[in-house]
Amino acid sequence: MVHQLPSWAGLAPALALAATALVLLLVDSVDPDTTNTSLLGGVSVVGSLASLAFAVWFIFGGTGIPTSEGGVGTPVLFNGQLVVDQMALFFMIIVASVTALVTLASTDYVENHAYQAEFYALVLLAATGMSVLSAANSLATAFVALELVSLPSYALVAFLKKNRGSVEAGLKYFLIGAVSSAVFAYGISLVYAATGVLRFDGVATAIESGTVQTVVDGTVQAQAGSPAVPMSVLGVGIMMVIGGVAFKIAAVPFQFWAPEAYEGAPAPISAFLSSASKAAGFVLAFRTFAVAFPIESLVSSGEALNWFVVFQVLAIATMFVGNFAAATQEKVKRMMAYSSVGHAGYILIGLAALSATGDGMALSMSAGMAHLLVYGFMNTGAFLFIALAEYWGVGRRFEDYNGLGRQAPLACAAMTVFLFSLAGLPIGGGFFSKFYLFSATLDVGAWSLAAALVINSALSLFYYSRVVKAMWIEEPTGDRSIESYPTGLYTAIVSAAVVTVLLIPGFDYVSSLAFRAVELL
Amino acid sequence: MAAFTYAPAIVLLPFVSFLVALFAGDRMPKGGALAGITATGGSLLLSIWVALTVAGGGYHNEFIYTWVAGVESVTLRFGLLLDPLSALMLLIVTLISFLVHIFSLGYMNDEGETGLPRYYAGLGLFTASMLGFVVANNLLMAFMFFELVGLCSYLLIGFWFREDGPPSAAKKAFLVTRFGDYFFLVGVVGIFATFGTGLFAPVTQNGEVVAQSFPVLAEHAVVDGETGPIAMLDTVGLGAQAWFTVLGLLVLGGVIGKSAQFPLHTWLPDAMEGPTPVSALIHAATMVAAGVYLVARMYGFYAISPTALAVIALVGGFTALFAATMGLVKQEIKQVLAYSTISQYGYMMLALGSGGYIAAVFHLTTHAVFKALLFLGAGSVIIAMHHNENMWDMGGLKDKMPVTYYTFLSGSLALAGILPFAGFWSKDEVLYEALIHGLGSEGGLATAYVLAYAMGLLAVFFTGFYTFRMVFLTFHGDARSDTARDPHGVRWNVKGPLAVLGVLAATVGFINMKPVAELTGAHIDFLHAWLAGPDEGGWPAALVTSSHHYEELLHNVAGVAAGEPLGATGTLLASAAVSLGLALAGAGAATMLYRGPDPVEHTDKLGGLKTLLMHNYYQDEYQVWLATGLTHPLARAMDKFDQGVVDGVVNGISSVSLFGGSRIRRIQSGVVNNYAALLTLGLVLLLAAFGLAGGWF
Repeated sequence: MVHQLPSWAGLAPALALAATALVLLLVDSVDPDTTNTSLLGGVSVVGSLASLAFAVWFIFGGTGIPTSEGGVGTPVLFNGQLVVDQMALFFMIIVASVTALVTLASTDYVENHAYQAEFYALVLLAATGMSVLSAANSLATAFVALELVSLPSYALVAFLKKNRGSVEAGLKYFLIGAVSSAVFAYGISLVYAATGVLRFDGVATAIESGTVQTVVDGTVQAQAGSPAVPMSVLGVGIMMVIGGVAFKIAAVPFQFWAPEAYEGAPAPISAFLSSASKAAGFVLAFRTFAVAFPIESLVSSGEALNWFVVFQVLAIATMFVGNFAAATQEKVKRMMAYSSVGHAGYILIGLAALSATGDGMALSMSAGMAHLLVYGFMNTGAFLFIALAEYWGVGRRFEDYNGLGRQAPLACAAMTVFLFSLAGLPIGGGFFSKFYLFSATLDVGAWSLAAALVINSALSLFYYSRVVKAMWIEEPTGDRSIESYPTGLYTAIVSAAVVTVLLIPGFDYVSSLAFRAVELL
Repeated sequence: MAAFTYAPAIVLLPFVSFLVALFAGDRMPKGGALAGITATGGSLLLSIWVALTVAGGGYHNEFIYTWVAGVESVTLRFGLLLDPLSALMLLIVTLISFLVHIFSLGYMNDEGETGLPRYYAGLGLFTASMLGFVVANNLLMAFMFFELVGLCSYLLIGFWFREDGPPSAAKKAFLVTRFGDYFFLVGVVGIFATFGTGLFAPVTQNGEVVAQSFPVLAEHAVVDGETGPIAMLDTVGLGAQAWFTVLGLLVLGGVIGKSAQFPLHTWLPDAMEGPTPVSALIHAATMVAAGVYLVARMYGFYAISPTALAVIALVGGFTALFAATMGLVKQEIKQVLAYSTISQYGYMMLALGSGGYIAAVFHLTTHAVFKALLFLGAGSVIIAMHHNENMWDMGGLKDKMPVTYYTFLSGSLALAGILPFAGFWSKDEVLYEALIHGLGSEGGLATAYVLAYAMGLLAVFFTGFYTFRMVFLTFHGDARSDTARDPHGVRWNVKGPLAVLGVLAATVGFINMKPVAELTGAHIDFLHAWLAGPDEGGWPAALVTSSHHYEELLHNVAGVAAGEPLGATGTLLASAAVSLGLALAGAGAATMLYRGPDPVEHTDKLGGLKTLLMHNYYQDEYQVWLATGLTHPLARAMDKFDQGVVDGVVNGISSVSLFGGSRIRRIQSGVVNNYAALLTLGLVLLLAAFGLAGGWF
């Protein structure tokens, strides 16, 4: 098992993605104009599946579990810059699964476009960034990984070069991203200024001891003269780090890019960004706030930030903005974009539903993780269905989906599963994950969060049902002919639907996995 | 014990016959009847085996399936409770059901009815549901099977759904019993909320109680004052006994509906629209018996509440008299039997309410036999009369169908309570228990018992009268119509069940001849020994369901005491003599009036009273008025409230939401400068707010 492997092998899931990206670039340089979709797409799918296989193998092989508890230990790389623990592997699984689904679906979507090799290479590079971000254990690594996610994403959103919406969305995404990165980087510098370290465990030591730390030969120790941590500087820094995270997960007030980027981007990329990229943002948030900024010490110090209160505000605001805006949209893709914002609000409960002593974190955070996993499948599936509709040239509005259920019953059935699962009906795993989020809020008595969750879920059922109603109940308007049923897209949609449904019986397993991952942090 | 291992099959066999008849009945000879006969026969044999095992001192109370596992809360399970009471009831139900299946060959198959698979499927499910109810070891499981029984009665009463009457009668039966079941359901939830369990008897393992039952918990709370664990008492703000009385009365709502007690008895006479074998099953062993059985099953819970006991006794006594008077004037043979059923179940309730647990079970047993017999006999007459049920068109059938006549006579003597037929022994014991407890208890309880006793006693006379009026009109005198002159013959499959039941109706009373036992000193009150159990150890200690224990509770907690002004033997004999005398007087009066070749409608002399009785005291009319005159306007008002206020609020919320949504989407102006500005502004706001709160500045 892994203990016989060198510790760098723990990064195998990320390395597999990086290697695949390089292979794609190699193919591109050998034959710059290739449009051999099956080769390019095939390589990408195989690469993502390899990454998935490694991550699954590791997580069940006991990587990240201390040897004392029957595991094989946690690989720590580069003096603690990266750790491959259970949480990292959990998120690597999400990233790899979404990447596999998206690349598989893209084989049909980008069939007739130029620069396909770049497309796949960018997707895999971004996925590499997400995978590394899952394991990042220092603010510096996190920033680099975050940029590795962001830069390919900007290019991917603007991939449809002849489509004005796509290019405009790409540019806006880039500009907002630049502002956000600046905020994030500034926040990191403030945290560094206050604590003297960038490694998460070092930051935590500084906060707990109240003295500035330094790293000597890979170990964290107090700085000579034991200067005190300036708590207000640290607070500003933490708030700005929250800003950087909020951009990645599209939470209020950093959500502005999301509706336009998701709408303008090619639908598979929207799926990728709203599922995998969001998950990567969340793993950064979970790890940073659970490990680096221990809430108990922060609260007891009295001066610095009660970050869980910030997250409560953000969660509630994000839920309301996302869902209320989604309710009044006319276009399906834009509705899904806002719904994705709303879901970021739900998952933020994972960082918001705790008490001042940090109680309840294991429950709420594992509920958030489980929701991200389920979301990775149901949301990706829903966006891929939109990709299918775009592939067929069906319009973008709700009315354009009228009667689609008669022409494409299988895909529409899958879409129904995705939408109802997103709404939290017990047709897919989304029911249980939302229920766990709900019980996490009740566990700590966070009534405002619970109420927001319930109100917004009820509202979301309204706009998700509009699509279902259009597909199955309304009469088709105008004539529309569907000429082909693309294999890649269909396979991806159906597998996402199957997994969404299978996550009902399998949810217990997923949630206990997530719970253990959080416990081990 | 081996018998208990196979006990679930008692329930499952009729269920399998239901499935077989439903899905393969078309392709089977006799439309699935043979499957039903085999299944109920098998269940009968297994029940006998179980009864023999119980007789040998065995008992069984185990969970077999958990369908909702509660964490630190209520767990919902299926389980089997086999003690003398349920073993006896299993015997009754399987025996009657088996005979009804055979009889149906004559009543349904030989008459060329269509839809036989549906009929036999219904019978199978009906039997299975009732058996599941009988063996249930907890209240929720009992409730579920109770409802299934109700569903099956609906399906079978409405069997001839193409005619006008049956579907309407089926709906009425369903709705009226459902009205009672609402109370029952609330009671079930209340009992679960109060005790955290619905178990009828404690589950023990190796002598240790692993799951306590709610009657025992209630007993501890009332007798020993252990109210600590029952948090519900604080919630409702009542004392233990008062709250348990409320719960008991709620459950009693279901009992009154199912056992057709006043005022929810109105469905039962209409239910005569169903096929006659179904009526036999409903009246003797399943549907109607379910209510009384439920009270007996959780008798420990009622025994600690004198108020509930008094209510049960009064309802029972009143129903016994009330229904008997309505039976006096009916013209159709099945109608007379229907009112007699209501009346007889009134006696059982009277017995249960006045502390006569054994008497009630005894009367349940004997009544099951003779009422099944009477209905099947009536069925035989109806076959002979080409489905004309009016007794004034009959007459003189005695010589043409002797088997039917003599067995029906045996059943009638039992119903009227004439020595030595079964009904005499049990009815006498019911009245005796009511009498001595009425004389011995104190306060309001005594008044209630004496009143109930008086009504029950008066009903004896009417019972004798209407029973023999029915016998004379049907079988004696000259034939009054062409069909009666030349009746249709019946075959073995009709005569066989009649013969079996006819013999039983004459003899089944011998299982508990209390007066004889008292006089001779011989221990021949077998049912008493069966239900009381050994004095120490055995199932009474483990299950706490022995009649002996109930008697102690009645005496110590409810204050039910026996008073015997003429001494033990004297009171017993006097009571027996009075009730026998009244029964004979009633029967004699009927004989006087309706004997002879050409009887006349003496009831016409009752004048306005007859009209009142024919209309059943206008019970239906006032219940219909309750529905249309009271409930309907109320429902309309509620609907207005729902349409106007509730929907208004809901619509208001949705328009507010959509308005809010359209405002929120305007934030997304499309201009990236605005985004950057808003984003920065938001961050600054957050920083300022939390900075001020955190005291950074």
